[in-house]
Amino acid sequence: MKFLTSNFLKCSVRECDRSNDNFPLKYNGEKCQLEQDESLEFNPEFLLRIIDRVDWSAVLSVAADLGNSSLPANKPDFTSEDLSDEDMVILNDLHTLLIKTNIVEGEMSCRNCGHIYYIKNSIPNLLLPPHLA
Amino acid sequence: MLPTPRFSCDYEKVYEPSEDSFLLLDALEGEQKFLQSFFTSKLTVVCEVGCGSGIVTTFMIQNNIPSEHAIYLPTDVNPWAMDSMVETASLNNCCTEMLSPIRTNLTRSIRRREIDLLVFNPPYVPAESVPHMPAESEAKEGDWLDLALLGGDDGMVITWKLLDSLDEIMAPGGVAYILFCARNHPERVVEIMSTRGWKSELTEHRKAGWEVLSVYKFYR
Repeated sequence: MKFLTSNFLKCSVRECDRSNDNFPLKYNGEKCQLEQDESLEFNPEFLLRIIDRVDWSAVLSVAADLGNSSLPANKPDFTSEDLSDEDMVILNDLHTLLIKTNIVEGEMSCRNCGHIYYIKNSIPNLLLPPHLA
Repeated sequence: MLPTPRFSCDYEKVYEPSEDSFLLLDALEGEQKFLQSFFTSKLTVVCEVGCGSGIVTTFMIQNNIPSEHAIYLPTDVNPWAMDSMVETASLNNCCTEMLSPIRTNLTRSIRRREIDLLVFNPPYVPAESVPHMPAESEAKEGDWLDLALLGGDDGMVITWKLLDSLDEIMAPGGVAYILFCARNHPERVVEIMSTRGWKSELTEHRKAGWEVLSVYKFYR
C-alpha cells in the first residue's frame, strides 16, 4: 500500500471508534518492507491537493515508525502564488514519501487495542477474524 | 459512450461483471459532468465498496471520474477480489499513483467522514440470511461468491449496514451511488433516508432479465 493510504486507515474494531488512539495505526518498522515505485511521475498540482488534505501529525507518526524523522513538525505551507525552488524540493521529497513509497510487506497495530494487521503483496488486510467482527 | 474496461478474474472466486456492474458504469458516465463540477478542484477520496473484479474503480480511474485529482481506495472482504482489482487496473494501464485497495468489511477501516465519493454494488439478492464470513483457513471458493450476492431479508441487510452509518462514513458534501434491485424496495429506502436528511435521485434504471435494477444517488 502507498504510504499515503496510512492517512486513511484506522483500527477495524468497533470499540476502538470511541478512542482517539485508533488512528493512525502503529507501523512496525522492523517488519515493514518498503519499495520505491519509480514509474510514478511527480505532479506538483496533485501533491498540493494531497498535502492540503492529509492529517500531518499522522504523516509524522507513520514516517517516524518507518525510520524517517526528518519531516518538518508543521505542515508545509504552499499558499503563495508561485512555488519557489525550495518549495519544489520539499514537494519532491513528499512525493517520494507519500506517493512513491509502497509498503510491500509489513505489519501495524492499533494503539488502543493492540490488534495486529498485516500487509501482504502491497495489500493491507484489515478484516477482523470472525470472533472480533 | 465511454469504453468498458477489459477485466480479468477467476469467476469461481470473484463476482463476474454483469448487468448490474454495467448499469453502474452507465450511471457514473451519466454523472461525470455533475461530479466534475461538484467536486471542483479539491482532492476527492473515492471508495468503491465491494470492488470485486475491479471493473468499476478501473472505469473511474480511466475516465477521470470525478476528476484527475482523486485517490481511489476500493475495498472488498474477498482476498481474490484484491488481486483482480490490481490486475484489472493494470490491464487498462490504470495502476497509477491513485490506486490503493484495502481488504476490509464495507468501510470499516477507513477513517470516519473522509470519503467524498462512494460507489456500492451491494449483495442485493433477497435470501433467508446473509452468509457468514468464512474463517480465512476454512474458506471455500464459492463462499466468496455467496457473500457478493446474498443480501438477506429483502436483499437489504448489508446495504442497510452501510446506509445506517452513512453520516459517519461520508465526508461533508459527499455523494454516494448505490445499486438496488426492485425487490429491495428502493423507493422505501429513499423515504427513510430523507427523514435522516439525505436527498436522493434516481440516476439510472434498467430491466435486466427478470430483475429491474436502479442506481440512486444520495447526498446532503
